[in-house]
Amino acid sequence: MPGRLSRRSLLAASVAVPLVGMGSSCSRPGGQPSSGSSGRIRLTFWSALRGSKQVVDAFNRTQDRIQVVFQQIPSGDQGGYAKLSNAARAGNAPDVATLEYPQVPGFAIDGVARDITALLSDRLRAKLLPQALGLTTFDNKVFTVPLDVEPMVLHYRTDLFAQYGLAVPRSWDEFAAVARTVRDRAPGRRLALFPTNGALQFAAFAWQAGAQWFDTRGGVWNVSLADEATRRVAAYWQQLFDENLIFANASPGRQSDAEISQGLILVRLSGAWDAGAQMTSQPGLKGRWAIAPLPQWDPARPVVGTHGGSTFAVTKDSAHPEAAMEFIEWQVSSPDALRARLSSGTSSQYPADPALVAVGRDAFNRSYYSGQDIYQLFETEAGKIRDGWVWGPRMTATQRVLQDGFARASGGEGTLLDAVRAAQSATMPDLAALGLATSEHGT
Amino acid sequence: MTTTASPPAAFRAAAPPGVRTTTRRGEHVACGVLMAPFFALLVTVFLVPVGTAVWLSFFASDEPGLGFGPEHTIFVGLRSYAAVLTDPTFLGALGTVVLYCLIYLPLMVVVALALALLLDSGAARLRSWVQLGLFLPHAVPGIIAALIWLYLYTPGISPVVALLGKADLTVDFLGVHAVLPSIVNIALWSNLGYNMVIFYSALQAVPREVIEAAVVDGAGPVRTALRIKTPLVRSSVVMVALFTLIWSLQLFTEPMLLSQSTSMISSRFSPSMYIYDAAFTRNNYGLAAAASVILLACTIALSYGVTRWTNRAPRELSR
Repeated sequence: MPGRLSRRSLLAASVAVPLVGMGSSCSRPGGQPSSGSSGRIRLTFWSALRGSKQVVDAFNRTQDRIQVVFQQIPSGDQGGYAKLSNAARAGNAPDVATLEYPQVPGFAIDGVARDITALLSDRLRAKLLPQALGLTTFDNKVFTVPLDVEPMVLHYRTDLFAQYGLAVPRSWDEFAAVARTVRDRAPGRRLALFPTNGALQFAAFAWQAGAQWFDTRGGVWNVSLADEATRRVAAYWQQLFDENLIFANASPGRQSDAEISQGLILVRLSGAWDAGAQMTSQPGLKGRWAIAPLPQWDPARPVVGTHGGSTFAVTKDSAHPEAAMEFIEWQVSSPDALRARLSSGTSSQYPADPALVAVGRDAFNRSYYSGQDIYQLFETEAGKIRDGWVWGPRMTATQRVLQDGFARASGGEGTLLDAVRAAQSATMPDLAALGLATSEHGT
Repeated sequence: MTTTASPPAAFRAAAPPGVRTTTRRGEHVACGVLMAPFFALLVTVFLVPVGTAVWLSFFASDEPGLGFGPEHTIFVGLRSYAAVLTDPTFLGALGTVVLYCLIYLPLMVVVALALALLLDSGAARLRSWVQLGLFLPHAVPGIIAALIWLYLYTPGISPVVALLGKADLTVDFLGVHAVLPSIVNIALWSNLGYNMVIFYSALQAVPREVIEAAVVDGAGPVRTALRIKTPLVRSSVVMVALFTLIWSLQLFTEPMLLSQSTSMISSRFSPSMYIYDAAFTRNNYGLAAAASVILLACTIALSYGVTRWTNRAPRELSR
């Protein structure tokens, strides 16, 4: 008997350990009404974000009414979004899910993300950067709460800029001029890389230039991927392609890693978060990189778009939306939450609640960027995010078609503008098949 | 012949009516039992899924206007079909698969038949070894085959690309124009041996007297192969062409795997990839179902067309 008991308790212990770590992966992934044995409300939370487990642990320690069970899921394009859609279809989506900005309208239309306008406290609304909240608000309904918002910035190699006597470009004209100098003075090197799988970077360029790919005026989805501003951006990058001023390949990837580590590219254009990501992926380049504002079309009136950033949704299947909202509010606005997240590793994410910037700044090791206060720069750049951008209802699909076109253009087949037009014509049937009211503009 | 056949017939005729009905009923039962597995499978793995797909394709969960708000599953008629047929990416995918068939189908049939004729003529030594060697790739699952070829195609790790590089030849097997031939190559490698075996066994069944007669009439080995043997294995050629056509229209595994490595294969490269993308990227089962039904209709129409065309041809020949 004693032997059997001990074996059973051993089994129980060995089962319990992964359960605590993995969330309710094998028992009950859903958000059916449930309360823990201690009378606490039980919430399930799915995320692919690093540090989520630490945040959940910290939340469970700070109060005793809500017990959050965390499950790490694959990132969206690796199957995380498909998993969420399927769970929602089966009626057992988690209480809280993580969505990136471009996917918010899609999940809102599918009814997965709940309309949380009434649940969003005025206190939280006042804290969040309005441009960030604007990206998760459709038809005057708020669907998700932003965690971070990532203005586009220019990352550059300080040593190589000095070596070739280059000045950091402030306008896109200067950017093209610097690119010509690099091509002429540094054989084998190029100023920058156009990521052929970077539809979201391209969107941020168009956003900056004043494009409006989607909007919901008049209760209709107005689609104009190839509007005047986008055509200008496409023509600009096409020119850089044609003059052989930039590399064009997938990034991140083996090739782009090599281009960065071997110093073949001098500049990277991406969101603020990428500063921290690069510290982890390219530790050898410590002290050689700095960050500057993104080049402008009109330096007198600077604006930027964003690239990256995540938001939290309460799903339709949640039985405790108020508790779920409380957890989300804590995640996005509590300094303890950000500290817990940063304890899992380096990050340069720019919080959507500007009050948390100080926490991020304190935790950030500045030595990689030679002591530069990058958060100060991010703060300025976040203020330049152009208001009014709207992501589309099937952004993942739009993005893929756009990238298919970019890849062909980089192989000399068609142009970037062709890619944009193809993405628009492939998006329209998708929206029609969803039964949405649509209107197509500008080609 | 007739004498041996008549006694049972006479006996059966003489048998009392009761025995005859039980025999017939027994035949019916045996027939039913033997056919049951076929019909059970036909219903569960073909008719039910097709019915579900057709059903799904007529419905969608909708909220009109901007789409934010509670959803209702409603009958949408042919809306999903209209969306698929107006989608340039779906038409592009159909175009890709037609081009693929135009390259692959003739190549497969001609090469497999040529190899079978060579083996049959006795020109090849070590016949069974050659047969085994050609057939073995067919035993490799499609997904593994695609992985092997992906390795051989990818610059930087492929010994083939490296070898060509040493000879100053730069070949990008996964480039814009080479990617379709590269997929055809994988399919050929996998299926050539199998189809060759079908042709070879059909050739074995050709009566030797006919070939001897041809030889006596002065036909050389090439002439015998082309004018005598090939027409006699016509039905096998039709069967192989039909199966290859149906298989090609469902092109999925190879491009799906290669797309991991090359951006030249789009997410909606073939109709099957379009369906996969519609269901799992665009999360629209109605759209995916409509595209599936359209692909099925195309497959049935083409198969019917091929069968009709090949059935008509011999009549014209005999005229």
